[in-house]
Amino acid sequence: MPVVTAVACPHTPQLLIRPDTEDRALVLRVHAAYAEVRRRLTAARPDAIVVIGGDHIEGFFLDAVPALAVYVGAAASGRFGPYAYTLPVHEPLARAILEAGIARGFDLAWSQHLRLDYAFYVPLHFTMPAPPVPIVPIYVNVYLPPQPTPARCYAFGRALREILDARPERVALMASGGMSHYPGTERYADPDVAWDRRLLAALEAGRGAETADLTGAELDAAGNVELRTWIVLLGAVGPVRAEVLCYEPSWHHGNAVVAWPVDAASVHPAGPPAR
Amino acid sequence: MSAHYTFPPASAYPLNRCLFLLKSDPAFLERFLADPEAAMDELGLDAEARAALRAFDRERLVALGAHRYLVFMAGLRVQMARAPAAFEYF
Repeated sequence: MPVVTAVACPHTPQLLIRPDTEDRALVLRVHAAYAEVRRRLTAARPDAIVVIGGDHIEGFFLDAVPALAVYVGAAASGRFGPYAYTLPVHEPLARAILEAGIARGFDLAWSQHLRLDYAFYVPLHFTMPAPPVPIVPIYVNVYLPPQPTPARCYAFGRALREILDARPERVALMASGGMSHYPGTERYADPDVAWDRRLLAALEAGRGAETADLTGAELDAAGNVELRTWIVLLGAVGPVRAEVLCYEPSWHHGNAVVAWPVDAASVHPAGPPAR
Repeated sequence: MSAHYTFPPASAYPLNRCLFLLKSDPAFLERFLADPEAAMDELGLDAEARAALRAFDRERLVALGAHRYLVFMAGLRVQMARAPAAFEYF
């Protein structure tokens, strides 16, 4: 089956747990965009949601730091403050992505027991259809250098699309993260909104492939280390025009919700298989 | 300009582990809030790391090799645990 829908969402913790430093009206506007994603996910009737997220050093600590990993457990659980969550996992699809990914030359790590980070939970808290759809968490190392290169993330996304197109399931893709923010740094109160807006304009023009040419240093400088998760998704959706459902920069975070139309036309032109 | 997020030196492993546990292990966070000295005893931290953790001074922690994201989220978790009523939950 083809991929049935593709979205990117922020996982800013202050959207779930709002301290009084956050503009409540802005938070609610992002929630409205999440609600639109929920409507689209529900309408797309996916059998699984493949969620591409960064880990925030939660499931993987410094004991082992995979560049790319697939969670192949029966369910995924985690906690964030008072929120304790368990989400069903689509194990057959997770295993197929792992096996086909390895067969295509992507040396994916995998796990059957990890604490699921809030990067995965926050957008699903607001967008999960009822009844819940099983997920497949895909991990991209975004915070612990050396991270995978944007080119590698894009190539993995292309391979992921080819793998999913050969599967029977209807699959929704969700990238979690971004846009510009600098947690734990002296630049926290100065997200690079201009950089975000330039990137969104390129995505609206269908030029997502350009993200494969970014460097890790550029992503770090722009507060966009998490864009790697979007770049995987961009490799999967191909050269289609993005629809920006919201861009709501707070004093510390560029909150963007973006959707891509996905159909047969969005598959990459014929070429050598992604490596 | 140097990168915002850098490779954590091996010398800082105990410090980063402490920040990770504050962020991700509610039982450790509870022990730390009740008795920070006893909680830090569990991890083999040196005197400099212990002093920086006691003050929770971001730049001192980073200078000792703490990862900036861990400093940020460990601090937020301590704040969430100390003042849960200061947040609106959705």
